[in-house]
Amino acid sequence: MTSYQSILDWINYPDPMINPYYPFGDIYNLPYDICYKLWEIIGGTIAWLINLIFPGNSVSTWLVCDMTTNFFALILFMVVIFLVVFVGVLISLWEERKVLGRAMDRRGTMIGMMGFLQCVADGFKTFMKDNIQTKKGDNMTYIWTVSLIIGTSMLIACMIPLSDRWFVVNYDTGLLIIMALYALAPFFILVSGWSQNNKYSLIGGIRAAEMMVAYEVPMLIIIATASLLAGSFNIGDIVQAQYDTMPYIIPMCIGFVTFFLCATAEAERSPFDLAEAESELVEGWQTEYAGMKWGLIMLADYMRGYVSCAMITILFLGGWDLPFIGDLNNVMPEIVFLLKTWFVFFLMIMLRCAVGRVRTDTILNLGWKVFMPLSIVNLMIVLILKVGGIF
Amino acid sequence: MTMDYLDKYRDGRHKSWKDLWIMKPIVVVTKVFNKTVVHRPVTVLYPYESLWEPDNYRGRPALDFNKCIGCGMCVRMCPCTAIILVDCPDDEGNNVERPQVNMGRCAFCGYCAEYCPEDAMTVTPIVELAEYTRSDLIYGPRRLAYDHTTEGMKVKLEETLISDYKAGNGEKRYLHSKIDRPELESSKCISCKKCFKVCPAKAIVMTEHGKNAKGRPILWPEINNETCVSCNNCVDACPKQALHMKEVL
Amino acid sequence: MAEEEKTMNVSQLDAEALAQGGVPELRKDDVMFDAETAKMDTDQMWITMGPQHPFSHGLWTLKIKVDGEKVTDAIPVVGYLHRGWEKEAENRTYPKIIPMADRLCYASSMMYTHLYCMTCENALGLEVPEKAKYIRVVADEINRLQSHLMWLAAVGTDLGNFTGFLWASREREFWMDMNIRLCGARMTTNYPRIGGVRNDTPELFDRDIIRCCDHFEKNLWDIIGLIDDNTTFTSRMIGNGIISRERCANLGITGPAARGTGIDFDIRRDDPYDNYDKIDFDVPVLNTGDSYARYMVRVEEMFQACKIIRQGMAKIKALGKNAPYRLKAPTCIPEGRSFARIEDCRGEASMYMVSDGTDKPYRLKVRSPIFVNVSSSKDLLEGCRIADVPAIMAMLDMCLGETDR
Repeated sequence: MTSYQSILDWINYPDPMINPYYPFGDIYNLPYDICYKLWEIIGGTIAWLINLIFPGNSVSTWLVCDMTTNFFALILFMVVIFLVVFVGVLISLWEERKVLGRAMDRRGTMIGMMGFLQCVADGFKTFMKDNIQTKKGDNMTYIWTVSLIIGTSMLIACMIPLSDRWFVVNYDTGLLIIMALYALAPFFILVSGWSQNNKYSLIGGIRAAEMMVAYEVPMLIIIATASLLAGSFNIGDIVQAQYDTMPYIIPMCIGFVTFFLCATAEAERSPFDLAEAESELVEGWQTEYAGMKWGLIMLADYMRGYVSCAMITILFLGGWDLPFIGDLNNVMPEIVFLLKTWFVFFLMIMLRCAVGRVRTDTILNLGWKVFMPLSIVNLMIVLILKVGGIF
Repeated sequence: MTMDYLDKYRDGRHKSWKDLWIMKPIVVVTKVFNKTVVHRPVTVLYPYESLWEPDNYRGRPALDFNKCIGCGMCVRMCPCTAIILVDCPDDEGNNVERPQVNMGRCAFCGYCAEYCPEDAMTVTPIVELAEYTRSDLIYGPRRLAYDHTTEGMKVKLEETLISDYKAGNGEKRYLHSKIDRPELESSKCISCKKCFKVCPAKAIVMTEHGKNAKGRPILWPEINNETCVSCNNCVDACPKQALHMKEVL
Repeated sequence: MAEEEKTMNVSQLDAEALAQGGVPELRKDDVMFDAETAKMDTDQMWITMGPQHPFSHGLWTLKIKVDGEKVTDAIPVVGYLHRGWEKEAENRTYPKIIPMADRLCYASSMMYTHLYCMTCENALGLEVPEKAKYIRVVADEINRLQSHLMWLAAVGTDLGNFTGFLWASREREFWMDMNIRLCGARMTTNYPRIGGVRNDTPELFDRDIIRCCDHFEKNLWDIIGLIDDNTTFTSRMIGNGIISRERCANLGITGPAARGTGIDFDIRRDDPYDNYDKIDFDVPVLNTGDSYARYMVRVEEMFQACKIIRQGMAKIKALGKNAPYRLKAPTCIPEGRSFARIEDCRGEASMYMVSDGTDKPYRLKVRSPIFVNVSSSKDLLEGCRIADVPAIMAMLDMCLGETDR
């Protein structure tokens, strides 16, 4: 390409799947496609500009060759996935504030695009607060545990596929991996409570950790039940199975209620918000976190809420398919998925408005003595249905 | 009569299957949520909208400069000593005394408006009084004016006399400033005319009652019952305590 | 030097004991079994629920002694809001004390001014006109509703239910609007006077207040459905904070807290003042003695207050527009002592006045119900869990203005 005619010599919009380095096998991946084309534009423009100054140089050629395009497209892919998830979580935060407001007979946040920019501003203000470092505490652990909580929450939020063509990895055991990473949080909370060198934080950390561990058991059982019905752990297969038969909320209604309540407990939301409430008397594990760390912990809570709602949508509500036009729905299955997720979050918000806080020992009682038996009952029903040949 | 709530909830247990574990609150919240989504919520979008307040709302006090006679009843009755009388020129240039209110001390109790005999002090619906310095909170007599004073903002103080009430004529009411009148103890009066000078309503006329040993006229104050506002200024000013407020009960 | 460095981290007592070659002495309030465990830090510790706390009840400190999860002792510390009210009252003329009495308990301002005016009228031997009595009754009951709604809002926040807070505050706004219609101000109303009330009920007041009562009763059922009708609430209330009837009477607790333990005494019914004997209403009394009983008594009082308001307004309307509502009281009160008491929202409030013939009182003493009720915190909180402390203290309905005066 020593003599150019126009910039279009550099930008040609090829099909990403013919790129020999295409990382996703033979499944079409929409965000990767978008980022591939984005890099074509950006890289092609830079290559053209450099070529204007130094005609026929090798940097320009390198910028638009197959391997580099793939590489930079993957970097942009990370950014796009992150942004989409981040904006999705912010929208659920905005939804919470508005719905909570209306249920309490007031308006929610009003400033900035019907209140959306207020949430962004609130997150931004946490940057400007003081950053506390405990003198006698274990600083490294203190910083690392909170980063890991947020990191794992962000990781699994990004790993949830929004549709057949919007995914990061397409594991056959996708659901299990998400749940495994989700279940790591109690350990980090425990270690973080310990590292603050504060008797109350330790007790708070222990309490939060034991609550989350108690509520994960029914969740895991119900996930196993749902994949039993569908026949695999692959998320795409579960959604397809629900399209073929019926959304799993109908045979697994007890499981839905149980999973829903366990998910609100996992996201540390009211009525199970130990960490915020018992801080009247026994400060929670979040005591020593100030400023941006606390802001990120709050964001991680909303991300875990988003992940739980997404899992509920996948397992019970049929994922990204609409009931009767599933296969024809290739306009925007991502939007359908997100809308269903936000609807489940709406139910969680209504639960928060209505019910006050539950006491600690009652929480643990519920987790072990009520929800686990219910999830086993759910398993029995599904087994009977499966053996009976309906699914 | 019945105690509906207590009979329904007395033993604390739910009596019917409909009151499931947490169902009732969720149902109630959903009803309110539907109502506020379809209609407006009850919020008033201050400062773009504001609440309507009736006339008698006790915001900051206001002064009608020309009605005020400088009697000082407001100063006397203020429980927070927020009002003092200051000298200021009126519209013709004469030096008069008018009240000055320190809004930082004011408790918005309305006594100044209630006891004002001329209804010059009134209440207003102004409540946005924030300033940057404390000295800005002191409202001088001209600054106290309020343009949209209505009849409802004037607080009328009408009382029934105990004697009337006991005699069965409870419907008779009098304005507070028209009941008590000062009474002179002539033996103590030294004709210094101080009471005549301080009376804000010009209700005192010094009348002559003969001549004393030195040939000077003996002047005693005579109080005009119609114009006196029972402000007690003459009682306080008399150096010999010759005037006492006679309370009519 | 080395010796000191070694024992630097050990307390003085232990250091002495170790120096003498023995084991550290057991401290008296330890729940210990042997010297080994004595060295471990399993003391009962004092937790200070300090002057700033999340439950919105005013400025006071509650120190609780905790053994693991159970509370063994409690010391309330009040006095942050002391303004020298009784001393200030000695320097003010009788009418000027009325706005001060408003601020004694800012949530129940009408009641305290009513109480003060009753004390002065008792000293003067003055009988207030009928219309003024009924207006005072109606104003008191509006105040009771407004104060109980504020309590209900605080219960919502204490138990994590922010929705209840906002709905109760919304209802309270309507009653404060009634206060505005009556006298011009929402909270510190400055409405009763010695000899009656400040002004007559305004135009169409009866129509507005009946509308308010109807609207309120409907919404109160909604708020109760939200707060009361679920097990997360009742499980925290039933069986907690039990106090026996004898203990309650011995401690001097009055008001809804006492009526929740079975003491059947209400000044409005048993020692009536200001025409309460001509109005028909019920007094809720429950025998269980726990927090839930106190809660239920207050909620039922709200419904009864609506009843009283309706009857009172009917009687005011029957008296007509020309009936007297304010008598002219003399400036000086003759020498003597007088006493009056009312059924305040929180209990029995009373005032004792010594007058000396001038236009200022010689001494004015206020008995505040919460001052007595809160001193019973130890009995209420003994044996409960830490998590129950806000729930139980919420049922006492603290208002710090009258406690500290």
